Amino acid sequence: MPATPANAVEFHNVRKVFRRGLWPRARAIQALRGASFTVPAGSLFGLLGPNRAGKTTLVKILLTISRPTSGTIQRLDRPWADRRTLARVGFVHEHQSFAAYLTARGLLDYYGALSRVAKSDLRQRIPALLDEVGLADRAGDPIATFSKGMLQRLALAQALVANPELLVLDEPAEGMDLLARQMLHGVLRKRQRLGHTALLVSHSLADVESLCDRVAVMRAGEVAFTGPLDELVGDTDQNEPRDLEDALEPLYAGAAP
Amino acid sequence: MNARWFLNTVGWMVRDTFRQSLAAGIFWVLLGLSGVCILVCLSAGTRGSANLELTENMPEFLPPTDPEAQDRQRAAKEGVAIIDGELTLGFGAVKVPLARDARTAVHCLELILAGGVADTAGLLLTLIWTAGFLPGFLDRRHITVLLAKPAPRWWLLAGKFCGVLAFVLLHATIFVGGTWLALGLRTGVWSTGYFWAVPLLLLHFAIFFSFSLLLAVCTRSTVVCVFGSIAFWMLCWGMNYGRHALALAKQIAPESSFSPSVTWLADAGYWLLPKPGDLSILLFDKLDASTFFKQLFDVAALRSAGFFSLELSVLSSVAFMLYLLVAAGRQFATTDY
Repeated sequence: MPATPANAVEFHNVRKVFRRGLWPRARAIQALRGASFTVPAGSLFGLLGPNRAGKTTLVKILLTISRPTSGTIQRLDRPWADRRTLARVGFVHEHQSFAAYLTARGLLDYYGALSRVAKSDLRQRIPALLDEVGLADRAGDPIATFSKGMLQRLALAQALVANPELLVLDEPAEGMDLLARQMLHGVLRKRQRLGHTALLVSHSLADVESLCDRVAVMRAGEVAFTGPLDELVGDTDQNEPRDLEDALEPLYAGAAP
Repeated sequence: MNARWFLNTVGWMVRDTFRQSLAAGIFWVLLGLSGVCILVCLSAGTRGSANLELTENMPEFLPPTDPEAQDRQRAAKEGVAIIDGELTLGFGAVKVPLARDARTAVHCLELILAGGVADTAGLLLTLIWTAGFLPGFLDRRHITVLLAKPAPRWWLLAGKFCGVLAFVLLHATIFVGGTWLALGLRTGVWSTGYFWAVPLLLLHFAIFFSFSLLLAVCTRSTVVCVFGSIAFWMLCWGMNYGRHALALAKQIAPESSFSPSVTWLADAGYWLLPKPGDLSILLFDKLDASTFFKQLFDVAALRSAGFFSLELSVLSSVAFMLYLLVAAGRQFATTDY
C-alpha cells in the first residue's frame, strides 16, 4: 500500500475549453477558467456550485474521462495521466446507467476485476458490500428490475468495490430515500475514520452540511471559495453563523441561470 | 504482470459481449438460423449407387441427365457407368439426381452453405446485428464509470472487438461444424476442407466490422453503424469488381477508351479499400469450388496479365483493417466523455 499523501487531489490552474459545432461555425465554450484547489487526504470534501459551474467537468478531468486544455492535476500524489492510481479511486457518476442484463453481483464482479481486485478478495468483499448498501437480498436479480434508489445503492457499492482511498461522488444521493441517505452518510463517515478521502459533488446542502469538513464553491468555471465549511458559514461581518444556503447565495450570484 | 492484466481485461470484455448478445437475443437468432441449416442437412440423404470408386483408373461415367445416358445398354456395352443415385433433401421430399457421386453432391451443398448462406447473407446479417454492440457499450452513461477504471481505454476497445470476433467465431464454428456433422452422419461423406470456411468467414467479418467499430467510436450511433457498414460493404464490392471488370476489358480490348485517370482511380480505390470479392475468391479456392461454380471473372486471365495477386489482395485488406483499428483506438483514447 503506497504512503498516504498529504493531499488526495490537487488542481492547479485547470482550464477546459470545449469546441462545439462544425467549422466555420464552431464556437469555444470555456467550462473551466483556471480552477485551483486541493482536497486534503482523509477529508470529506464538498464541491458546490450552481448548474454549469464546471463541477462535473472538473471531476471528469480528475478521473481521465475528459482531458484538460491546460493546467496540472495530481491524484493521490501522482500526475493525472498515471492511470495506475485509478485502481485506488471509486466513482459514482451523476447519470449512471448499468448494463441491464447484469445482476448486482455480476456487475460488482465485473467492475471489481477491471479495478484490479483479486478474485479471492472479490469473493469475500461483494456479499459484504451488497449487505452494506442494503441489496443483499437482490444480489442475483437483473439490474433491469432495480428502482432508481436501488441503482444508486448499487452505484455506491461498485464505487467501493476496490476499497478505494479516494471516493469521488457526483450527486450520489439523487433518488435515494431517507434510509438510503442515512446509509450513505454512515458509509462515508466510516471511511473517513479509516483515513480515506471523499470528494462529494452535491446540490443537497443538507448532505454537505452534515458530512463535509471542507468545501470548494465553483462559479462559471472558477473557484469562488475554498476552505473549511465553518469558515464559509461563519460570517465575519455579523459574527454569527449563517446557514449554508445564505452563505452560498452571494457566491452563486451572477452565475449563468 | 501487465500482459496478464491485459488478458484479464480482454477476457471480461469478451464475457460482457456474450452477455450483451444473449440479452439482445442475437445469440439465439444466429443459433436458430444455424439450427435450421443443420436440420436441412440432417434431412439430406443419398439413394442409389451414390459412390464412384476413386481409383487411379477412373471408370468412364455419365450423369443420368446426359442424352448419351438414355441408351443404357449401349453404355454398358462400352463400359460406361451411368450414375443413378440421387441426393434427397427434406427427408426425401426434394430429389436431386447426382451429377457424379455422393461426395461431390455433398461438396456442392457445402459450397452453397459456405459461400451463399454464410459468406454473403450470413455475413451481412451478422454485420447488421452486431453493429449495435459497440454503440450500446459506448453509451455515455454506461461507459463513463468504466473509463475511470485503471485499464487503458484501448484495452477496453480491443476487448470489445475481440468479444465480437469471438462471438462470430463461435457461431461460424457451430454453423460449419453442425452442417458438416449432419451431412457426414446422413451421407457418410466427411470432407475436412469445408472447415476452411470458419477462418475465412471470420477474416471477412473482421475487416468490415473494423469499419463499424470506427463509426461507433466516432458517432456512438447504432443507425450510423448499421447503414454505414452496409454502404461501405457495397462500396467495396463495387470497387473490387469494377476494377477487375475494367482490367479485363482492357485486356480483351486494349483500344477501349478508358481514360488513364479512371484506370488510376479504380486501381487506387481497389488497393486502398478491402476487397470482399477477392476474399470470396479465396474461399472459392480453399473450398475447391471450381468443379461446380464459375467465378464472376476470369481470375486466371487477370492473374496471368498481372492484374491480380490473391496474397497481396488479402494482405492489403488486412492492412486496411489494422489502420481502421488504430484510428478507432486513437479516436477513443482522445475523446472527452
